[in-house]
Amino acid sequence: MTAVLEVSNMRKTFGGIVAVDDVSFEVRAGEILGIIGPNGSGKSTLFNCVLGQLQPSAGDVRIEGNLTTGMRPCDLNRLGVSRTFQLLQVFPQLSVRDNLILAGQEHQGSMASRLFGQPDAGLSGDAARMIEFFRLSHLADEQAGSLSYGQQKLLDAAMAFMAGPRLVLLDEPAGGVNLTMLGQLRERLHAYHAERNATFVVIEHQMEFVMALCTRVLVLAEGRIIAEGKPQDIRRNPIVIEAYLGH
Amino acid sequence: MTRFGWLLVALAAVAAVAAPFFLKPFGIFLISTWVVQTIAAIGLNLTLGYAGQISLAQGAFVGIGAYTVALLTPLGVPFLVAFAAAGLLCFAVGWVLGYPALRVQHHYLAFVTLAFTTLVFLVLRNEEWLTNGIYGITGTPRPNLFGWKTGGARDFYFLCLGVLALLSVATWWMLRSPWGRAFVALRENPIRALSLGLDTRRYTLMAFAIGSSLGGFAGALYAPLVQFIEPNSFSLGLSFNLLLMVIVGGSGNFFGPFVGALIAVLLPEWLRITQGYYLIVYAAAVMVMMAFCPAGVLGLAERAVLLLRRGSKVAGAIP
Repeated sequence: MTAVLEVSNMRKTFGGIVAVDDVSFEVRAGEILGIIGPNGSGKSTLFNCVLGQLQPSAGDVRIEGNLTTGMRPCDLNRLGVSRTFQLLQVFPQLSVRDNLILAGQEHQGSMASRLFGQPDAGLSGDAARMIEFFRLSHLADEQAGSLSYGQQKLLDAAMAFMAGPRLVLLDEPAGGVNLTMLGQLRERLHAYHAERNATFVVIEHQMEFVMALCTRVLVLAEGRIIAEGKPQDIRRNPIVIEAYLGH
Repeated sequence: MTRFGWLLVALAAVAAVAAPFFLKPFGIFLISTWVVQTIAAIGLNLTLGYAGQISLAQGAFVGIGAYTVALLTPLGVPFLVAFAAAGLLCFAVGWVLGYPALRVQHHYLAFVTLAFTTLVFLVLRNEEWLTNGIYGITGTPRPNLFGWKTGGARDFYFLCLGVLALLSVATWWMLRSPWGRAFVALRENPIRALSLGLDTRRYTLMAFAIGSSLGGFAGALYAPLVQFIEPNSFSLGLSFNLLLMVIVGGSGNFFGPFVGALIAVLLPEWLRITQGYYLIVYAAAVMVMMAFCPAGVLGLAERAVLLLRRGSKVAGAIP
């Protein structure tokens, strides 16, 4: 079976600093891969290289076997690759509903047909379902900027799922979210995964979140993969304990 | 928009139609100027207010539109064709000017567009073989459209008003379509927009091009309105004035340019009783307003309505 995502010998340097150093891994359909590592280990840079936000210095990225290295983020998104960012990235002046419609509208028709088509691009129904799925129904018409941080994180995740992506890369989805909201976020991600057999790659520092959500974990340190395996094995791995988890 | 909002728009439309029947020629000239400036400000509001691309070039596009009509109509080109040509030319030039916006943002982009305005001014002033330089072009005729002679002040005002109505509806249609949402996304968070599949490059260029073409259409009406154009009319001052209209009215608010242009055109006239000091009073009024209401006049009105609603809710809750 072809991997949904295949990263080969990825390297990214900034001047003399090597942020990502010869990283290779695969993600299979339906898998939830966690990427952990200390701050500055190259996790977000790796994401940005995979998603076209940064041009890798070397290496290849393949989505379902097709070479996508250096492809623009918008083109990757239209191929079914979606993401969230480390810091909140919603559109504060748009309503929750409009944020979600926006997240799906570019997948509907051409640019010209969107100009002359329906204002909601025919996505009101999908947006309502996504709002309900992420339990934001009571906030549908509120401006996204007026939501609490945790609610905005839920919206951020919902936007990544709006266009029914094949692969979703979540960059620290639990960052800054309180425990109640964190449980809700994890439960909703689990539910979405179970319902759609979606493939996730998750960068996260919150270890309980990673252990409960991911089926496999990859550990980065100083831009290199130092360990890879099932969550329970990673937790006991002495190299990982030394480099990241601590005693 | 609320029912009350639509009622206000309808009343304003009725007032705009009725106004020339109660005004002297200079008054009609003023409201015609308001209509023309509003069209240009709608274009800038699209580029700046909705798509977040700061531009100090709108005055230059008004100039390009005005000179296009002033140069083509004496050659026997029908006004409607010259009018369309002005819009198309500005669309094309605006598209090209949009390219720097793909690389620079904010005040850097302002400097790029400022340089463009200076460049256009220099071309208009120095290329005498084409533009007649500082002597300008006089006597751009007001058109006859399908037997309707618009030579009179009132008729020409109605032509301008009709064009404003058409362009307003077209802009409103675009802004309520997915394009409008995409423009706002471009303003608020272009990196996130890109990751959601929006071709931010194409939307940025489109925002510049459409905004510029509206400037061109305004210029195409300006030339037959004043019947004398010269380069100084389209220097940086006009671009700043249009920027002022958008910001004073309410940047990113559909009706902002209407209100902003009204204030910018009428207020200096009303303040003429202060004689030589009117510009000082006008500038001070704008500074005070910007300090206390950066969302413009319409932002202030929205805040007042919100406070009134809250007040009535609180009053209703008290037994």
